[in-house]
Amino acid sequence: MLSERLQILITPVQRRRLEAEARARSVSVGSLVRDAVDGRYGGAPAADRLRALEQIRAMDATLPGDPADLDRLIDQGRSEVAMRGLAPVPGAPTCA
Amino acid sequence: MTFLLDANVLVYSAERGSDRGEACARILDAVIRDGAPGGTSPAVLEEVWDLERRRRLAGLEGLTERLYRGLGPLLPITDAVFALALKLDAPASATNDRIHLATCLVNDIGLIVSADRGLDGAEGVQRVDPSDRRAVDRMLAG
Repeated sequence: MLSERLQILITPVQRRRLEAEARARSVSVGSLVRDAVDGRYGGAPAADRLRALEQIRAMDATLPGDPADLDRLIDQGRSEVAMRGLAPVPGAPTCA
Repeated sequence: MTFLLDANVLVYSAERGSDRGEACARILDAVIRDGAPGGTSPAVLEEVWDLERRRRLAGLEGLTERLYRGLGPLLPITDAVFALALKLDAPASATNDRIHLATCLVNDIGLIVSADRGLDGAEGVQRVDPSDRRAVDRMLAG
């Protein structure tokens, strides 16, 4: 239920941004502001958050003893994806 | 929000029976259960998700979704974050770490909780090692 009125001052630039974004999305400026508040300060209800925490605490992952190895795995994943995903562009110079 | 949780802290919070795992789980618990002023970003969670999906490590299934549910809403990766990441004077930092550091700076967050020593020395953002109990206590006390 929309029952609370909030009056705020913003700059002309911010107003233009909001109005342009609202036009682009075909929604009202108010709807845009409400979505932004929910997106920035919302999140799952407290009970869901606690349930997520309990589920994580019940996990038993097998991880490298050295965090540096974990970071290497993270970086390695990026390299693997890059090597797999980039098809050569015909005519483009290549790295030796 | 005063601290950002890096991917290694989030991943180690799913490990049982190790000092590091318990230290990371304690931080996550403080944020989700007690409302300690910490959070994370889509860029960090993407790293966790990538590890989970590649199945190189056992026992991570479902971790990313649970973290998202527990830690959302995430700090946004905005145009301002990206612009600052490009300009950061951090030659030793990888692109993903630059995004994390810029996320901190744009949101006035002075601490990043991470076991990654590569984040040391960044101007305006101090690394807190999750295994440093005294530093973690100071951070959680605000």
